[in-house]
Amino acid sequence: MGRRIAEFAMDHPRAVFIATLLITLLGTALIPLIQIDTDPENMLPSEQEDRVRHNLIKEQFNLHDMIVVGVVNEQNSNGVFNPQSLTALHALSEGIAGIDGVIRRDLLSLATVDNIEQGGVGTIRFEQMMGTPPQTTEQALAIREATLSLPLFADTLISSDGGATAIYVPIEAKDQSYRIANEIRDLISELDTQDDFHITGLPVAEDTFGVEMFIQMAISAPLAALVIFALLWWFFRSVTLIIAPMLMAFAVVLTTMGALIGMGYTVHIMSSMIPIFLMPIAVVDSVHILSEFADRYRPEKGARKTMSEVMGHLFTPMLYTSITSGIGFASLAFTPIPPVQVFGLFVGAGIILAFVLTIIFIPAYAVAINPERLSKLRAGSQESSADETGLARSLIRLGTFATARARFVVIVFAGSLLVAGYGISQIVVNDNPVRWFQSQHPIRVADEVLNRHFAGTYSAYFRLESNVAEQAPARFKTRVDEILNNAEAQGITLSETWAEISDPIAADTTEFEAYLEQVSVEVEDALFFADTEKLAGLEQLLEATDEARGDLNFWQRPENLAYIAEMQEALAESPQVGKVNTLADLVRTVYRELLSGDDADYQIPETRQGVAQTILSFQGSNRPHDLWRMVTQDYQAANLWLQLTSGDNQDMQQVIDLADAYIAENPLPNGVTASWGGLNYINVVWQNAMVKGMAQSLAVAWVMVALMMFLLFRSIIFGLLAMVPLTVSIALIYGVVGLIGKAYDMPIAVLSSLTLGLSVDFAIHFIERSREYYQATGRFTESMRLMFKEPARAISRNAIVIAVGFLPLLAAPLVPYNTVGIFLASIMAASALASIVLLPAILTLLQKWLMPDRKPSTTQESTS
Amino acid sequence: MMYRSLLSMMIGLALLTTTAANAQLTDADEIVERANNASYYAGDDGRSAARMLIVDGDNQQQRQFVLLRKDVEDGGDQRYLVVFSRPADIRGTVFRVEKKVGQADDRWLYLPALDLVRRISSGDKRTSFVGSNFFYEDISGRDLAEDQHELIETDADYYIIESTPRDPSSVEFAAFQTWIDRETMLPMRTEYRRDNGEVYRRMEVTQVEVIDGYPTGTEVRMSDLDSGGYTITQFAFSEYDIGLPDDIFSERSLRNPPRQWLRRD
Repeated sequence: MGRRIAEFAMDHPRAVFIATLLITLLGTALIPLIQIDTDPENMLPSEQEDRVRHNLIKEQFNLHDMIVVGVVNEQNSNGVFNPQSLTALHALSEGIAGIDGVIRRDLLSLATVDNIEQGGVGTIRFEQMMGTPPQTTEQALAIREATLSLPLFADTLISSDGGATAIYVPIEAKDQSYRIANEIRDLISELDTQDDFHITGLPVAEDTFGVEMFIQMAISAPLAALVIFALLWWFFRSVTLIIAPMLMAFAVVLTTMGALIGMGYTVHIMSSMIPIFLMPIAVVDSVHILSEFADRYRPEKGARKTMSEVMGHLFTPMLYTSITSGIGFASLAFTPIPPVQVFGLFVGAGIILAFVLTIIFIPAYAVAINPERLSKLRAGSQESSADETGLARSLIRLGTFATARARFVVIVFAGSLLVAGYGISQIVVNDNPVRWFQSQHPIRVADEVLNRHFAGTYSAYFRLESNVAEQAPARFKTRVDEILNNAEAQGITLSETWAEISDPIAADTTEFEAYLEQVSVEVEDALFFADTEKLAGLEQLLEATDEARGDLNFWQRPENLAYIAEMQEALAESPQVGKVNTLADLVRTVYRELLSGDDADYQIPETRQGVAQTILSFQGSNRPHDLWRMVTQDYQAANLWLQLTSGDNQDMQQVIDLADAYIAENPLPNGVTASWGGLNYINVVWQNAMVKGMAQSLAVAWVMVALMMFLLFRSIIFGLLAMVPLTVSIALIYGVVGLIGKAYDMPIAVLSSLTLGLSVDFAIHFIERSREYYQATGRFTESMRLMFKEPARAISRNAIVIAVGFLPLLAAPLVPYNTVGIFLASIMAASALASIVLLPAILTLLQKWLMPDRKPSTTQESTS
Repeated sequence: MMYRSLLSMMIGLALLTTTAANAQLTDADEIVERANNASYYAGDDGRSAARMLIVDGDNQQQRQFVLLRKDVEDGGDQRYLVVFSRPADIRGTVFRVEKKVGQADDRWLYLPALDLVRRISSGDKRTSFVGSNFFYEDISGRDLAEDQHELIETDADYYIIESTPRDPSSVEFAAFQTWIDRETMLPMRTEYRRDNGEVYRRMEVTQVEVIDGYPTGTEVRMSDLDSGGYTITQFAFSEYDIGLPDDIFSERSLRNPPRQWLRRD
């Protein structure tokens, strides 16, 4: 099969080159259409229920993603509360308000918010906290005092030590945050002040990551190519020869990325790493072919004949390794996370494309090379592949050790598996987009500084929604019937009057609230003209209508506000929650200032009407709409804004658990349901989905690869044996992750499939070749001795190619790239070791059953 | 049904043009003064029932109140009493305003559920009126002396006045332009601009009726062009020169609203 395909390619080299060039050009042409996507929300499908609800909550409460600008002054003893700093802050706030994409109305800064305070005896004052910048230190300090005394602002707009302030910049769309952050930096650079400015917030982190990721793609992938090129040259010492796999790798990368972009997929954090994944994997098969080709080539035999032989020999193992690697990655399609699915499927497809190109392009290239150059290649390659090199000698020693001390090797591996098992049990699932940047990155620094000064730059939203409206019409009808019947009992007929008022309105209105409002107006009108005997009944009806209407305003009821107040206090006690901002704060603050301004009056009014009128007073301020971020206009859903000091998913998870526990002990008011929103929450949802999804995808891939191994080796025992190195590698890698306390995040999760796909290659080659040698020699010991020559070298070389090929990732300033680089190198080491040390050790122990010594086989050498 | 008769009441409007308005005016200060009188000083006193619809995206809130006004002197000091009836939970809430030209107004708020009378400090008059897109100042009128007025254009229907604040730091706008109807002298549209010339706030009178001989804006819309939110105020049952006694504008009225003057018949 392989031989025939290779021969066909060698017959039509020109066609092969043109076809390769064409698909590459096509792929490359599509790349400029690239759409970068770093929105973690897209980790969930757009119709996923938590995501839908998150967006609903945002819409319900006018919530926007926010950039946080912190202003700190370490020199002045009053911090930023001096005329110069506040003048600068005022100018900055005005400038930010004018930036395109900033939601001016909801911009929160000292220069935009209102101060609510007592303005002398019996006087309440609403005015801008800092309508104009202060001229004197006294004025600046007065602003500090006023801000600190308002619970909604303390720790949010002003640090608790009274030294720093923050601007919360709501933006229309997350993908504008990098641009807006830059415009803010420009504004800052024009300010006349000594303050330190810090910009952070999840949207900036995510969008900035996208921009830097794009740059990294343009740097890391070519760098990887360069490193691989150098490595291949070191192995083969022939630029002519190694040009072929390099060109092919480029063709694979460009075509795959072109296809991904051309099919309309966005390039996400994971898919941005596709080039760097494919580059080394694509050349691996070629390394096998070139190794053998260089060994077997004789000028008198000719390139064509040699290549046919090599391809006949390697086709089956290459086919199986490619398919299994492909399956390993494609199994990511079983995760519930679209960007990971896309990554897996396209890397899988790229691997298959690499296989196809390897078996046609490399042979076609080989026959197209000038024979003179091929002769030189032979001399060069022989030198490096001799049994005398350092690598070769070490491998032979390793082989001797593995077979002589087989029991010891197996015990060591079994012991390390136990340790790994413990490590896995210690794994902490966590991620945090801000930590995607290295610790000295301005975003990380800003994050650290601001979360030290303020209640937190991360937001979660806890919605408490009442179903009070559902039963309201029925309850109202019961009450009305009661009044009408009572009147009837006293001989007063009210039913007709009622029907005259209620029926037309009911026909005219769709909303029950509007119906009640209108009925109330008309009943009141009717009171003016009504006969004296009907007055009492009508007044009861009016009262019932107003009660029913007021009742709908669920979160204006004092007992429900009290529930929120108690819950927020309990939540704020947890170390992860810096502060909770709620309607209860707003009502209590305004009520306090209406009464006396004393802390003793920081209370919820006693009646629903009292709450409504307190809120009405607040609505006479400059920013009445701030109310609607805490409660919906029908007062049936309330929003608790939690400020978190950490963007870690595990911290958010703890907050969720805490809220659950609180609700379990303090049941929600009747008919209320609680649900979460906010980017931090969304991150937790997709992360939990990922952990479960990865386990599933790993299980599916493991079974599929195992089935392929049974088929390939036509033996259950050898098939299972082939699964040993990858299983051990995966266990060891995740054991290490758990032991060193590295958080299990997305890049780490994806590594399992990678390990599965790549380390089975080594096992396939090792077992396939061992069986060939055994068949030829009939002697286990002899087979193993041979195995640690050329085959072990090929395996090690490939491990080195892939490991080193990923090393450029370490140079990237983005942590997920570094993580993948380090762990890939470790995985390659672990799985190569498991293949060439553990497998021979197990074979030695099971030799009696698997490879008993016998006469050399008389059948022909296996050529598949 | 109470709003249904509005159209029929408008018919007489075109006929009622005063001779003074026919002559073309050229002095900006005179124009704004007449406009101010037309919109805030019709008759010696007045009463109307107002309904506000506050629209913010998909959300709506309503306010309903009766507005009583008595002029101390034409174009000068005034007294206002605003008594709320809807939503039900704020019924009985009252605003009392003593408008003083040339100095800060006195404003009081009565909250019946808390049985609390509070003076509202006049720190800022350009704050929201009960959560609507109108400001206090839009309800009782902005002091003409606070701005410089310039007549920038006179077309067939309108005097167009450009007003710039004398103290720019006291207000959120950089300037505003007003379209004043040449016949009724009512300001029909006002647009507020930022420094960069962007119009962010707009008042429009969308319905005018002649009531007791006075052209009256009976439907006014105030739009926040940043957020797309707006408030529509409809005035019904308007009456002028009804002889409101002085004592209903006293502090005592806050707790005991003058019921006979609040009926809307």
